[in-house]
Amino acid sequence: MTRFSVRDAGTLLGLVLIIVVFASLTPAFLTVPNLTNVLQQSSINACIALGMTLVIISGGIDLSVGPTAALAAVVSATLMVNGVPVSVAILAALSIGIACGLFNGVLIACAGLQPFIVTLGALSLFRALALIFTGGSPVFGIPPEFRAITNGQWFGVPTPIVIVAALALVAWVVLNKTALGEYILAVGGNQEAARVAGVPVTRTKITTYVLSGLLASVAALILVGRLGAAEPTLGNLWELDAIAAAAIGGASLMGGKGSIVGTLLGAVILGVLRNGLTLMNVQAFYQLLATGIIIIVAMLIDRATRGR
Amino acid sequence: MSESELPLRLHLDALVKTYPGVRALDAVSLSVRPGEVHALIGENGAGKSTLLNILSGVIVPDSGHIQIDGRPLLVRTPLDARAAGIAMIHQELKHVPELSVAQNMYLGRPLTTAGGLLVDRRAQERRAAEVLADIDPSIDPATPIRTLTVAQRQMAEIGRAMLEEAKVIAMDEPTSSLTPSEFERLVVLIDAFAARGVSIIYVSHKMSEIYRTCSRATVLRDGRSVGVVSLADTAESALVPMMVGRELARVAHRSFVTDGVRLRVKGLSRGSHVIDASFSVRRGEVLGISGLVGAGRTELLRLVAGIDRPDGGTVSIDGESVRAHDPQAAIRRGLGLLPEERAREGIVAGRSVVSNIGLPSFARFSRFGLVARRRLSATAFRLMQQLGLRPLDVERPIGTLSGGNQQKAIIGRWLAASSQVLLFDEPTRGIDVGAKAEIYSVIERLACEGRAIVVVSSEMPELLRVSDRVLVMREGRIVADLSREQINEEQILAHAIPRDAHRAA
Repeated sequence: MTRFSVRDAGTLLGLVLIIVVFASLTPAFLTVPNLTNVLQQSSINACIALGMTLVIISGGIDLSVGPTAALAAVVSATLMVNGVPVSVAILAALSIGIACGLFNGVLIACAGLQPFIVTLGALSLFRALALIFTGGSPVFGIPPEFRAITNGQWFGVPTPIVIVAALALVAWVVLNKTALGEYILAVGGNQEAARVAGVPVTRTKITTYVLSGLLASVAALILVGRLGAAEPTLGNLWELDAIAAAAIGGASLMGGKGSIVGTLLGAVILGVLRNGLTLMNVQAFYQLLATGIIIIVAMLIDRATRGR
Repeated sequence: MSESELPLRLHLDALVKTYPGVRALDAVSLSVRPGEVHALIGENGAGKSTLLNILSGVIVPDSGHIQIDGRPLLVRTPLDARAAGIAMIHQELKHVPELSVAQNMYLGRPLTTAGGLLVDRRAQERRAAEVLADIDPSIDPATPIRTLTVAQRQMAEIGRAMLEEAKVIAMDEPTSSLTPSEFERLVVLIDAFAARGVSIIYVSHKMSEIYRTCSRATVLRDGRSVGVVSLADTAESALVPMMVGRELARVAHRSFVTDGVRLRVKGLSRGSHVIDASFSVRRGEVLGISGLVGAGRTELLRLVAGIDRPDGGTVSIDGESVRAHDPQAAIRRGLGLLPEERAREGIVAGRSVVSNIGLPSFARFSRFGLVARRRLSATAFRLMQQLGLRPLDVERPIGTLSGGNQQKAIIGRWLAASSQVLLFDEPTRGIDVGAKAEIYSVIERLACEGRAIVVVSSEMPELLRVSDRVLVMREGRIVADLSREQINEEQILAHAIPRDAHRAA
């Protein structure tokens, strides 16, 4: 289901449960500043996960989102630092995201190569490009005009949260209300049947990878604004968190199934988990353990409720 | 001791199996004597597959017992079934393509050596060759099974049953991919098995085969057993009402052919699958295409629909040529394909009936980029009402519908797209007798409204019912164009069977 469904209600219930648990364990958890902090921390993963969800629903996977973000980050940062207008630099970042997506999309949809392998190769390729571009060093000195965009607030809500919420709304509309959304679900559900029925399969698949790359570049811009610097090594393991958020939210890696709302909830669940454990002074290793356990538990619940 | 006093070889007693919302088997019993060839017949959805799956250990019944030679048996897994002497020959043969014939025959229970650590491939091939010598000596047990023809693979399956010294062999639609001469060979084998005391359960829709091979038949309907008959004493016309539960009216064919060619195919070719195919279909005409499995009928339809790339040839609809290898172009020109394997190529099972119907039409049903869902749903509802979808719920996932209803939805898809040329590939495969009749009247109505229709079919009654003309294909070529008066089994087979009847190894 793509509308707010039983599965989404279940994910929401899971989130509420985790919040209740942490609220009772740490008094510092359930405060407005902390909850805002959680949403802000989750926004980057949520942004990536939106694109990842669309790709997964269409039956593919994108392992190259982290390096795509890194490449977009270092190129636009370098432009900004060298006096290029901020708007141009932003466009450059988005263009790189689109180009990386096109690269993946064309190889997968036109040449028919396996998504896992193509994006795995792209992961190394884009990472290498980012490192080569900056010679391995970070780019410092991001102009304050740019940082003001990403570090500001809209009616008391930090800008990144607003941006990602708006993008999530667009993604939701695309998936649930447009022809493209129907195509993505059909291609992921049964690609051959979709093709026989006249769905533009190639175009649909390429579009999902382009959207994934685009959203990765948006996430990159948010991060660069927050840190004031762009490292060619940023985005490491971002794909795993994104896949985790999508999977917790109900996306099936077989394709044909997934939810934007669910993905958002999944990203917040991961964020709440990390935040809560940090407040409880739990070591980072155990946070990783908790993340892994949550993912597996979510899958088991999925299997149990789906039935035989 | 007369035959009826011997203990039953197989006794399935009051089997019950329910799935959410449906009682697939309702206290069904089946009895087979040693050395008997027993038919299991019924419409699709009557419970035959469920029964066979329970017998072969694929699923577990909710209640009921299985007895072999008077001893009760617990069959929980396929290996249990095989150990009990039950061999199952599926309709869709499930082999591992890259493994050898011998390895497939020993799948799950390999012959081992070195204290059970290593698989003894040579011993397996030796034993397999011994068994195959009686069945089909042309099969080399060491070759990968994918190199075998369908008929040979079926023989290998039977060989497996012999290796396991099966007491009961169940065959599910064994002849759907066999030529008549291969069928004769199968009959000889079945008789040999029966003579040795092996019991055979024969599941098929083809009445002529059933009457040829079986002595008794159990009839299933809607999950219940409605009777066990002796085939010597029961006419086919008496069996059909048992299967269907009502008398089916005999409907005559009506022709709506008018002038004006709507579909013209010239010189279409693809490798050895389709060679220089040319034909045309007029307004209101239903053109049947018959031929043996492998003659190239499905491949021909796929070429016309733009799904596969042709080596040469042209397709034109209403005088306008259609770009090759572009399904969307063909659909835009007004063509619609209803594939043979609905589950694999026809439906997106998890999506609703509306979504499946709208697939080729979303762009047209959109405004400002957003799909006009209400308009689409209303259209889908209206079409499904006209086509008789039961229950009339277009928001249900299409995967939950029966085969007949799914086919109606796919027809609805092309009606919603205003398609004018429809290509049906085995339109009633896997659809029960009652729904078949409905599909035939739909095809008739579609023709009456001026469309051009092509129907690929392997069933003579079906071709007779719907076609104005019938093409016969053989080894990739169209070899005959028969008028209605000429449509009969002998004529079609005479054209369809390859001249060179000798089978290459």
